[in-house]
Amino acid sequence: MSKIIDIKDLSYVYLPGSPYEQQALKNINISLNQGELLGLFGGNGSGKSTLAKLLNGLIYPTGGQVTVCGIDTNIKELRHDLWKKVGLVFQYPEQQIFESNVYDEVAYGPRNLGLSESEVKTRVFEALDRVGIFPDSMVNLSPVKLSGGVRRRIAIAGILALEPEVLVLDEPMAGLDPLGQNLMLEIIKARQEKKTQTTIIISHNLKDILALADKIAILERGALVFHGEVQELLSKIDILSQFRLELPDYLQVAYALNARGIKPNNDIKNINEAGLELIRIISGGKGKL
Amino acid sequence: MNEIKLGQYVHGNSLIHLLDPRTKIICCILAVIGILSNHNFWYLLFLLGLILTGIKCSGIPFSSFWRSMRGIRYLLLITFLFQAVLTQGEAVFQLGALSVTQEGLMIGLINLLRLVILFLGSIILLMTTTPMKLSAGLEFLLLPLNKIKIPVQYFTTIISISFRFIPTLVEESITIKDAQRSRGAHFDSPKILTNLKSYLAILIPLLASSLLRAEDLAEAMDSRCYTGNPNQYRMRNLKYKAVDIYLIIFMAVALLVGLVIT
Repeated sequence: MSKIIDIKDLSYVYLPGSPYEQQALKNINISLNQGELLGLFGGNGSGKSTLAKLLNGLIYPTGGQVTVCGIDTNIKELRHDLWKKVGLVFQYPEQQIFESNVYDEVAYGPRNLGLSESEVKTRVFEALDRVGIFPDSMVNLSPVKLSGGVRRRIAIAGILALEPEVLVLDEPMAGLDPLGQNLMLEIIKARQEKKTQTTIIISHNLKDILALADKIAILERGALVFHGEVQELLSKIDILSQFRLELPDYLQVAYALNARGIKPNNDIKNINEAGLELIRIISGGKGKL
Repeated sequence: MNEIKLGQYVHGNSLIHLLDPRTKIICCILAVIGILSNHNFWYLLFLLGLILTGIKCSGIPFSSFWRSMRGIRYLLLITFLFQAVLTQGEAVFQLGALSVTQEGLMIGLINLLRLVILFLGSIILLMTTTPMKLSAGLEFLLLPLNKIKIPVQYFTTIISISFRFIPTLVEESITIKDAQRSRGAHFDSPKILTNLKSYLAILIPLLASSLLRAEDLAEAMDSRCYTGNPNQYRMRNLKYKAVDIYLIIFMAVALLVGLVIT
C-alpha cells in the first residue's frame, strides 16, 4: 500500500509576528495509506479544521512538511492544483451554495476541472445518485427551497463530482437529524468499499466513526496526543477516559464485562461481532445458545 | 482568519486605550479640521508627530500600522503623482509630455501627508477603542441631535451592530472563499469575467447568510424588548478623567494655532 498522506513535524502559526499570533498546530506527524479512513478527533479549537485546510493546499505549513498524493504543499506551483486531488468538504457546506439550480451547483467543480459538458453531466448525475438524490427530479430545483439536510448532500455531491483521491469531511454530521447522519455514514461507507479512495473525517463524536475508521488521530490544543489503529486506541483506556470519548454501546458492554472479570474477544469491530461474542460468552464458550 | 482586518481592535491597557472614547473621537475630529483647514507643511508634520506619539503610547507595534498603510499605497501614490504632474508652475523635470513642477511636488507631498494623518488617526481610534465604547461615545456626542427629532439612538444601534458583524462577515467570507477555491474557483485569473464569476460565488452565499442572520438578530432583539430608546446604561459608564480634558484642550489649542498660522 502506498502512502498517500505524509505529514512530518508539521506546525502552523496564524498571523506570525502580529499581536494576534496564535499557534494552531505543533509537531504533528501523521501518515495514511491509500484506501484507508482516518478519523480525526479533537475538541473545539484543537486545530482540526486548520489541518484540513493544510491538506488541500489552501494554507501551507509554517514549519515541517505536508505531502499529499506525492505533492509537497510547501511548493507553491504544485499546491495550487491540489484541489483536483483532495476534495475538502467544509463545516456546514450548505452555506457555500450559490448557483440557482442543483445541477449547476454540483457542476461548478467539474467545470472548473475543464471537463467536457457531457462528462460533466455524467459526473453530476453520478454524484447526486451517490448522495441519495434522484437526479432526474431534482436537477432543476433551486437549492434555496430545499431542506438543510438535502442542501448538505448537494454540497457534498459538488465535491464528490470532482472524484478526488482524498476526501476530507469537516464535521459532516453536525446539525443533521439521525436519519441524515445515517445517510451520511452510508455515503462514506460506499466510498470506502472501493478500497482505492482515501477519506478523512473530522468530528468530535467518536461513536459515529469508530466502526468505519482504520486509523484514529486525536488532537488536543494543536498537539497530536494519539495516532494509530483503532484497536490500539481501544486498548488505551487512559486516553479514552482523558478525552471522555464516548464509545458505541456494544463496546461499552464489552468494557463493562471486562471490568467484571469476563474477558470478551479483543477485536470486536462492529455490533454484529459483538452480538456473536455475547452469545458465545452467555452460552459458556460454545458459540450457540 | 488569514490577516488582521483593517482597524481591528487590539486589546491593551495603554494610556490611549484607557482614554474616554469621546476624547478620542473629538481629538480625531479636531485633527481632521486641522488638516483640512491648513496647508502648512510644518504644521502637518507636527500633527503627524502627534499621531506617531499616540501610536507609540498605544503599545501597538508600528509594523501593524505599516501593514495597514500598504492597503492604501496606490491611493497615496496616485494622489501624489497627479498633484505633481497636473499643477501649473516651475518645471523641475520632464516626464515624457508631462512636466513635474516644484509647486506640484509640494502640494503632492502636503496632500500625501494629509491622507496619511487622516488614515492613521482613524486607524488608531479604531484599534484602541472597543466597538461598544466607540458607539457609546458616538451616541453621547450625537445625543443633542435628538432635540431636533433626529433619532440618534437608531443610528448608533445600526453602527454598533455593523461593527459587531464586520469580523463575523470577514471570517465567513474567508471560509466561503476557501470552500470555493477547493472547488477550483480562480480569484487571480487574468480573465476579468472568470474573476467576477468567482467572486459572485462568495457574494451570493454571504448575502444569503447575512439576510438570515439579520432576521434572527431582529427577532432576538424583539424578544428581549428592544425599544430603540437611548442606551443610558452604556453612556453612564463613560467617565472623563483629567487626562481626557487636558488632551482635548491641547488639541483645541493646536487647532487654533494652526488656524492662526494660515
